[in-house]
Amino acid sequence: MAISDVNPFEAPPAGDNMFARITDNVSRIAETATPPRAWYIAFGFAQLLLVMFLGSLGYVIWTGIGAWGNMMPVAWGFPIVNFVFWIGIGHAGTLISAVLFLFRQNWRTAINRFAEAMTIFAVVCAGIFPGMHIGRPWLPYYMFPIPNQMDMWPQFRSPLEWDVFAVSTYATVSILFWYMGMIPDFATFRDRATTTVRRVAYGIVAMGWRGSSRQWHVYERAYLILAALATPLVLSVHSVVSFDFATAQLPGWHTTIFPPYFVAGAIFGGFAMVVTLAVPARQFFGLKRIITIRHLELMNKVIMATGLIVGYAYGMEFFVAYYSGNKYEQFTFVNRAFGPYAWAYWTMISCNVLLPQLHWLPKFRTNPWCTLAIGLIVNVGMWFERFVIICTSLSRDFLPSSWGYFVPTPVDLMTLGGSFGLFFTLFLLFCRYLPMVAMAEVKAFSPAGRAHGDH
Amino acid sequence: MSSIDDKAKKRLSVLSNTAVGSGAPASNAAGETARPTYWKSLAELEQSAEFLEFASREFAAPLEHEPPNSPGRRRFMQIMGASMSLAGLDACRWREDKILPLSRRPEGTIPGSSRYFATAMDLNGSAVGLFASSYDGRPIKIEGNPAHPDSLGGASAYHQATVLGLYDPDRSEGVATRTGGARKSSSWQEFSKALTEILTAQRAAAGAGLRILAERSSSPTLAEQKMRLMAAYPSAKWVTFEPIAYDGPRAGSVLSFGKAYRSHYAFDAAKVVVTLDADVVHPTFPAGLANARALTKGRVPDSGEMNRVYAIESAVTLTGGISDHRLAVRSGLIKSVAAYLDAVISAKANPLPELGAAQDKPAAEFLKDAKVAKFLDAAAADLLANIGTSVVVAGQHQPPEVHALVHRLNAVLGNVGRTVFYTEDSSAEEQSDQASLKALSDELNAGKVDTLLILGGNPVFTAPADLAFGDALSKAKNSIHLSLYEDETSERCSWHLNAAHYLESWGDALSWNGTLSIVQPLIAPLYNGRSALEVVAQFAGSEKPDALALVRMTHAFGLGSEHAWRRALSAGVLEGSAAARVEPKLKPLGKVALAEAELGGLGNGKLELVFGVDPKIVDGRYANNAWLQELPESLTKLTWDNAVFISPRTAKELGVADADSVTLSVGSRQITLLALVAPGHADGCLRVTLGHGRTSAGHVGGLVSDNIDPVGGNAYAIRTVEGYDIATGVSVQSHGTVSYRVSSTQDIYTVGEIGQQGTQERLPELVREGTLEELKTKPEFVAEVVEHNPLLSLWVPPVSYDGHKWGMSIDLNKCIGCSACVTACQAENNIPVVGKVNVAKGREMLWLRVDRYYKGEPEDAEVSFQPIPCQQCENAPCEQVCPVGATMHSHEGLNDMVYNRCIGTRYCSNNCPYKVRRFNYFNYNMDTIGVTPYTPTDDPKAKVKAMVFNPEVTVRSRGVMEKCTFCVQRIQNTKIKAKNVKRPIEDGEIKTACQQTCPTGAIVFGDLNDGKAQVTALQKLPRSYALLGELNNKPRVQYLARIKNPNPTLSPPQGAQAPTTEQG
Repeated sequence: MAISDVNPFEAPPAGDNMFARITDNVSRIAETATPPRAWYIAFGFAQLLLVMFLGSLGYVIWTGIGAWGNMMPVAWGFPIVNFVFWIGIGHAGTLISAVLFLFRQNWRTAINRFAEAMTIFAVVCAGIFPGMHIGRPWLPYYMFPIPNQMDMWPQFRSPLEWDVFAVSTYATVSILFWYMGMIPDFATFRDRATTTVRRVAYGIVAMGWRGSSRQWHVYERAYLILAALATPLVLSVHSVVSFDFATAQLPGWHTTIFPPYFVAGAIFGGFAMVVTLAVPARQFFGLKRIITIRHLELMNKVIMATGLIVGYAYGMEFFVAYYSGNKYEQFTFVNRAFGPYAWAYWTMISCNVLLPQLHWLPKFRTNPWCTLAIGLIVNVGMWFERFVIICTSLSRDFLPSSWGYFVPTPVDLMTLGGSFGLFFTLFLLFCRYLPMVAMAEVKAFSPAGRAHGDH
Repeated sequence: MSSIDDKAKKRLSVLSNTAVGSGAPASNAAGETARPTYWKSLAELEQSAEFLEFASREFAAPLEHEPPNSPGRRRFMQIMGASMSLAGLDACRWREDKILPLSRRPEGTIPGSSRYFATAMDLNGSAVGLFASSYDGRPIKIEGNPAHPDSLGGASAYHQATVLGLYDPDRSEGVATRTGGARKSSSWQEFSKALTEILTAQRAAAGAGLRILAERSSSPTLAEQKMRLMAAYPSAKWVTFEPIAYDGPRAGSVLSFGKAYRSHYAFDAAKVVVTLDADVVHPTFPAGLANARALTKGRVPDSGEMNRVYAIESAVTLTGGISDHRLAVRSGLIKSVAAYLDAVISAKANPLPELGAAQDKPAAEFLKDAKVAKFLDAAAADLLANIGTSVVVAGQHQPPEVHALVHRLNAVLGNVGRTVFYTEDSSAEEQSDQASLKALSDELNAGKVDTLLILGGNPVFTAPADLAFGDALSKAKNSIHLSLYEDETSERCSWHLNAAHYLESWGDALSWNGTLSIVQPLIAPLYNGRSALEVVAQFAGSEKPDALALVRMTHAFGLGSEHAWRRALSAGVLEGSAAARVEPKLKPLGKVALAEAELGGLGNGKLELVFGVDPKIVDGRYANNAWLQELPESLTKLTWDNAVFISPRTAKELGVADADSVTLSVGSRQITLLALVAPGHADGCLRVTLGHGRTSAGHVGGLVSDNIDPVGGNAYAIRTVEGYDIATGVSVQSHGTVSYRVSSTQDIYTVGEIGQQGTQERLPELVREGTLEELKTKPEFVAEVVEHNPLLSLWVPPVSYDGHKWGMSIDLNKCIGCSACVTACQAENNIPVVGKVNVAKGREMLWLRVDRYYKGEPEDAEVSFQPIPCQQCENAPCEQVCPVGATMHSHEGLNDMVYNRCIGTRYCSNNCPYKVRRFNYFNYNMDTIGVTPYTPTDDPKAKVKAMVFNPEVTVRSRGVMEKCTFCVQRIQNTKIKAKNVKRPIEDGEIKTACQQTCPTGAIVFGDLNDGKAQVTALQKLPRSYALLGELNNKPRVQYLARIKNPNPTLSPPQGAQAPTTEQG
């Protein structure tokens, strides 16, 4: 019997209570011998994309990054667009797990685990691009401040160098946070294990969790501290990424609105990715009672709020360009909206500003399929936002003689598509082998948990 | 003894520089002799065999391991003696591996340092004097010879590119024969045998079946050998054919003076210049490089005086680009323009009666146009106001009558003897080139030619299409083609002889004014080729012709003494050898037949087609030169292609859009090629450049037999004897946009209305322009174009620049857009070529580009050029964003690139407002050359190709960023030189490659800390401005604003106008 066929809330195990239902419901996904067919289909497809990703990267390493469409003046094309896109995706996970935790938004417990997983996998995808897009991809370690025979430091004034620290810190904290949160659930898996392999494997990663109140006490403290550490990262990482552009003097990049605008955009895109993942996940893995319509609605509201901030930023960019009196700046924005890349700009505006407005209607924001559709649309829109910022600004800068028009190559598209393969492969493996929902946390906030009063 | 053999081998493999005796360790200790008590080295103490052997010899570094009296020693003395005696002129042999290291450095040779040798390159009957730099015996760079009257220090792009041609792996490597299309490799020995037979037969017939088809040459020695040959075979015929237009001026001179004279212009003494379809500053124009310098000398507005140039022409030329007023008139109507000027001017100037009657005012329709009439009247008035200080020039492709009218105009205006001079044309032929070739072709078809010797050239490709010269050629029993490549002509000849490159052979050549230069080889012929001189001498009866001996024999009188010879060699010119100026008597010119009735209208069948020399590959001879193929053409910025230029109005009329594929029809002949709408082009006129579309040029320019597509369209296919320079009755048929991306480096895609507007707004700030009047009355207008807040920095600049402070000044008033600097930079800095596809993607690697902008209405657009090298900002945006410190600021203010630190993030390029940085998206050097100096190879072709590298400049690999360095290697070399003798660096001592080759001296480089330096003075001029200076990047390059000297009657004073781009 496939898990998806189980409706745990309809037919609870006999003599069970709420906690047991939750445990059973989540654990089954990882314990079943045969995951649903949809998982296999999705995993096979993700594998194909992953092979395409590795193939395209291998080709690029072999021949040179000219295999992509990058040219002069658009020296950063798809790879950096993809980098910013993926790193932005990650933000929702951190926001949900850390910021909402600090703000005691208890509804987060249903989604925080896989949102965090999404963060990590997105950072993995993002991290590949800066390393691969450089002209000599065998030398990215030049960017790390490691002692070397050349006695050379990296150049700390460069925002790319800041990226190295921002992203690596972010990745480290996110992994720690994610892993620590999973320890009690690993222990549950260990305890429920029916095979030695599972018992040993989950036993190791559970790090001797016994669920003693002292352990819980330490755990809660540590979780709080990590949440506090992760919270500034929500703001800092994408701010630093936005410095790549904001500190450059290129019209269209050189603007102070970028850090907040990028952070809002990242949360916007990140939540869109969470709903994109949550809707199928709750459908296929029977988590409808855990990730409820209310969760989706709340996330849709976040999407709307951040989407409006992003829309405001788009408008403000135009206003500031007009108000600055700088003709290069003014040109860049007019060109963005009406120049050769107008199609990309209006795709972005439609996806990020116009279509999410449908969520004003409760009918839309409470419908999982509408949620999924808008989530996908916002993902597309946010990818285009980065494309618009990077490519249109670069394609027409100061001297008209050096203007150009960037056209991606098939390898560009393969790399972009392939990066989703990596993401989904990791995500599907996560769904299959790790606790997809933070059982311990959900229990704490479930009605049964509350029966004992607040902690 | 094996150890000695090993050692010898080691010596052989090490080219030189091996310290004596340090190579091989003592292989065995002989030890028989007693150990000395006192010793000088451990080897002596050990008494090793090595040492004993070493001590037994007189010289420290024996060349060969033989007794000192062996033949080897004699050989050594010979080599040494030869080196010594040729010290002033040696390095003409590329040092081959088998030469043993010299024990003592020959005088004047420093391994690893480059030396310059004077030589000259002959093209179309006149030579430009050059300096070739030799690095360890291989020529790697060409410069103009400042003492040469046709160079004055400048060189063109194709001169620069000849070093690449020298090492072209597609060059023919030997003699070959063909029978019925089957090629067989042969040798010079076999050719000599065959030649003996041929000549024996011909001698009996007094050479009746012998024909020689030669390129136009100025070589006195070749002329001498020709005379010898003609004396031996009196019935033989010598035909000169060159596809470059030459007959108009010659026939025009005959019309005017009864004899062929060459015209020379003193543009520097002229106040008013009127060009009639003449691109006088173009390198292919006779003395074009010198003209460019002279003409721009009069365009320095800072003195308050400027000449005024009126260009009346069909296509926008470089001269038209710098002109003050330009009138677009189709080439066929220039005759009417000349007649009109003659009528107007003669009416007022009252010419002497012996000059004959003036022309009647032509009644042509276009002259009634108010704008045209106003223009011509103003030009005429200006000419009349400057009697004796004006010049009227006609273009090479204009018919004889125009030239005759121009001779008359110059005489009427009193210019002859003041700004216009004549010398006798020694190469005067009776017939035009195409007529002589036609006669030869007829003879071939009639079977009258037994043996045809073709000296250079590529007549099968370049001959007028209606001659079907290739077919005629095969009717000769023996056809012998001497050529650098096995080209289209070689494929139709029974013998192909591999020619020596001009950098490989001795010879002599005359400049346009007849100044003698000795052509000096820089290297032994790589493939054992022979020069035309040697082959003609062989035909004339010399067994083993020695070009050097022949040249010396020719000049035995003038350069008889060793001293004089060496002086001429080292100076590159023989002082005072210029032809005497003559003042030929002008014959009255009858009424010139004007054909304007047939001309006019924009419809198909009414168009004219002007055949032009390609500014890059000339007549197609440099088609296999990748540097030239990749050089953006001055106006269209087109690379790896040619196009038919069509005016905006004509294009609209005929339904042709920019970048369409079109079929050009001249009579029944058709070609299909790219069409570009050219702003400023004359209506009803089409222009196409010759030389493209080669099918057997090589792996660069097209080699159909190896599936390499021809580059561009072959315009020779529609050039006939009748419509040779200008064809009439031409039709154009558009087939819609071309199927490929046009490989132009500027405006390669639709700019659109937004782009147009943006360009419009910013161009007045980028290319600052004004008039002489404005500069005089309000010199600060240049600085006031951009208003910005005071530029403040957050911190004190970390570098004080108290040593040198390198800077550059580029005079936009002098830049003619010829792009010689671009190729000079490419040659100097080992810049790779990327090929057509990558250029179309915007990945060209040229460190220096020349931007081109149009201004005004598309119909009569003005064009301006702006060379953009790295601006070497003091506050460089690129440096701040590199995460690995690969681009750093030097204490002299250069933005240095550290290639091996660069990981290729390309952030620097994104942050560069000038976009001068270039990125190696692929391993371009490796891909094109097949080898870099750092990667070994066994491929002999790759090895030859790699010889072109400048060893002083790093060859960049894949994935690194690169850009202009201000030729840092030249700066360092001079600094070392000056430091060695403890003297300061003089101003002008360091010249960047672009500066050195610039024919107009538009680029000036120097030390901004030197108050007396030219660059300091120029940057202080009121018309000096920093490009995008408002960004506070503090660029070290500054531009001098373009100042025009318009005729007040033609353009009433007004504010600086905005240029626009018109390319769609």
